[in-house]
Amino acid sequence: MKHPWLKRLLSVHGLLFLFFVYAPIIIVVVYSFNSHPVNMMVWKDFTLDWYFSIFGFPTKLTEQTLYVESTDQLVSALKNSLLVAASTTTFATIVGTTTALAVYRHHFRLKPFYQGLLYMPMVMPDIVLGIALLVFFVNFSIKLGLMSIMIGHCTFLISYVFVVVSARLAGMDDTLEQASADLGAKPWTTFRRVTLPQILPGIVGGALLAFIISMDDLVITYFIAGVDSTTLPVFIYGMLRRGVKPEINAIATLMLAFSFVIASLGLYFRKRS
Amino acid sequence: MIGKRESRRLAALLIPGTLFLGIFFMGPLAVMIVFSFLEPGLYGGVEWNFYHLNYGRILGWADAEWEKFDPVYAEIFFRSVRLALTNVAITLLICYPAALWVSGLTTRWRTIVVFLITLPFFVSLVVRLFCWVLILRPSGFLNSTLLGLGLISEPIDIIYTETAVLIGMAYILLPFMFLPLYASIEKLDHSLVEASSDLGASPYQTFLRVILPMTLPGIAAGAVLVFIPSLGNFIVPDLLGGAKVLMIGNLVEQQFLSARNWPFGSALSVMIMLVMLLLIIFFLRRIGRSEIVK
Repeated sequence: MKHPWLKRLLSVHGLLFLFFVYAPIIIVVVYSFNSHPVNMMVWKDFTLDWYFSIFGFPTKLTEQTLYVESTDQLVSALKNSLLVAASTTTFATIVGTTTALAVYRHHFRLKPFYQGLLYMPMVMPDIVLGIALLVFFVNFSIKLGLMSIMIGHCTFLISYVFVVVSARLAGMDDTLEQASADLGAKPWTTFRRVTLPQILPGIVGGALLAFIISMDDLVITYFIAGVDSTTLPVFIYGMLRRGVKPEINAIATLMLAFSFVIASLGLYFRKRS
Repeated sequence: MIGKRESRRLAALLIPGTLFLGIFFMGPLAVMIVFSFLEPGLYGGVEWNFYHLNYGRILGWADAEWEKFDPVYAEIFFRSVRLALTNVAITLLICYPAALWVSGLTTRWRTIVVFLITLPFFVSLVVRLFCWVLILRPSGFLNSTLLGLGLISEPIDIIYTETAVLIGMAYILLPFMFLPLYASIEKLDHSLVEASSDLGASPYQTFLRVILPMTLPGIAAGAVLVFIPSLGNFIVPDLLGGAKVLMIGNLVEQQFLSARNWPFGSALSVMIMLVMLLLIIFFLRRIGRSEIVK
């Protein structure tokens, strides 16, 4: 570029952009270690008490500043989230992958229809899908609970897996598969020995993406969770609506750390693919 | 020709997805559309009679009496559209220069910065919004810092305003604007940019006549991807806007969880879906398939 001042201006903007993205996150992480019991934004001392308190360990905190009953609910919300994420990821990965294989390894007339159908759940606004699922479950007397959450998550997770796996399939040369078939391998053998190893990074990447999206989903789960089966994001949202407490800092920091680890793993697998 | 074996294999691969999405994706949407044409029951629930006034109510005629015009819902609808469009403009203004900057970095740094920008996208929405609640609260980080520095004498009210909602929405939707913009800017043919400035165009002219037209598909994709989730959002206005900045999403939530007027809520939801479908169709017609299928 011929205009160095322009380049410098862009760099400044870029750095401010990164600052805007990360400053709020860093503030929460830093203040989750703040021991000030009244005003959580006035720095007093370093403490791990908020972390201890969310797991129910004894702390030096005085009784009133605590969410007394939260630990059990928090743990059960976390368990629900993990259970839902694990089962929906398994289901969505299998169904998403088979559908991707059908659409990108076969020629048939309804192919454009299927591509459209699978992109729909991703562009559908969360609230519309959440409402539609709620109305559907209630209308057909399906009990709202973990099962309804799992079904709801699968409707959009299948699409995410489909997109990641089909990107891998589309970028892959199918001559190896043809060679395998020409040399007399049965379709299943070709799939297991040739196709699968090649698309595996895509499948793993798709599965990790599905897992993290399921763990994070708030809006759709909010509508179809029912009374006694809440997930972690819905639980924290409820806490936030009632008021801000320092423990939420600690929970938020742990969730941040968790998301960063999974996301880094996911991006690592995508890079390799 | 497709052999019999192959078509059986194709069917086996397609059936699970077709069944699942047919029942649990298309099914719910169909039920919701049906509900939007039913009469609301007296104590919640629905009466199975055809009733078109749920839509009349959105426009302002709740009981089909023309003299009783009350556009309160239409106002909320237009406010949501206005806020969503403002959010598109904000994210575009923030992300376009940022994407230009990233595309000018060395390959190594580009990978790192794109990774850094994508990373928060994977962090739970509640957590990201919680960060802003902490910052914008009356006793939050912003006010404590400004008070501490002596820049202001009493806390400024920023939470529960449209500004707070716009900050929150821009923050959570940045990656949706950044990534398509970056993808189209990165594909940009740099020889054309050089040719333009070699031939004497000012940076401003080069940008307006060369760079901008070539990155229009990216801008359009980003705008659609930001507009759709902004329009129906209810979490951001709920946490950062309070009761003062109601958006259509909050209205839908109220109809389902407190007012218990499900048909009206369904009608509002169908409206959001229609806006989305129109946008997608318009986008696919004008810009083409290739951009969205990235």
